[in-house]
Amino acid sequence: MISAILVMALGAVVLGAALGYASIKFKVEGDPLVEKIDAILPQTQCGQCGYPGCKPYAEAIAKGEADINCCPPGGDEGIRKLADLLGREFKPLSGEHGVEKPKSVAFVDEQFCIGCTLCIQACPVDAIVGAAKQMHTIVAAQCTGCELCVEPCPVDCIAMVPIAESVETWKWRYPVFEIKPAGTAR
Amino acid sequence: MGESIQVEVVYAKAERQELVRLKLPQGSTIQQAVEASGLLARCPEIELAKAKVGIFGKLARLDTALRDKDRVEIYRPLIADPKEVRKQRAAEGKVMKKGGGPAEE
Repeated sequence: MISAILVMALGAVVLGAALGYASIKFKVEGDPLVEKIDAILPQTQCGQCGYPGCKPYAEAIAKGEADINCCPPGGDEGIRKLADLLGREFKPLSGEHGVEKPKSVAFVDEQFCIGCTLCIQACPVDAIVGAAKQMHTIVAAQCTGCELCVEPCPVDCIAMVPIAESVETWKWRYPVFEIKPAGTAR
Repeated sequence: MGESIQVEVVYAKAERQELVRLKLPQGSTIQQAVEASGLLARCPEIELAKAKVGIFGKLARLDTALRDKDRVEIYRPLIADPKEVRKQRAAEGKVMKKGGGPAEE
């Protein structure tokens, strides 16, 4: 009798210790779903979805507050990936948040820049180098193409220049397989 | 002491932007960062004594001490004269936006 209780107690202690160790060792920081959604979003931080950045939008999607078709820079491809991840139906980009455009970076026309710093304050990713009454220049490698600097410029000297497709910028397209009705395929 | 800080030095031209990541000892100044970056050799047009420098969009002096994760920026002068641009735009009848807000009709 005593030995049976001891065996059960020992078993409980061992299993408890194992579970306790596992919960510390394999602790998950934050919400892994938010991370996965955030990884799909284009990180333009443009705010076109109505949230202040890609991460807040990812959190809203994970909570079910936001729909998956509110990200114009991500485009149809981004929506397809999100639909895949979340097991939802694909739906086209909602028009109220904007339209998908080719990926661009901002470019300052140096003939007109007056060094007002308004574009620098607008840039969500600190991609603009410049200070008061100094030339403002956009670091193309860091520009996400969010267009937030275009509107504030008082002399309209910022233009969006589409990036030409090159070996560095080319990406795999999301594969789309057309399913043909059985009758038409020959 | 003995700890190092990580900073970036950037010199941006319209068509090409140079960005160098550096590890420097704590207490380094802007001048030391620019010299360590090697940008002076790569872009001989920089005259450090004359050029304006700053950290993250704020003008600063060459002897300013850096903090971890600072971005040292070497600026170039404006081409346009702000007053002239404003005058020109006024003459063309374009409305100048004030404070970054949308132009008023």
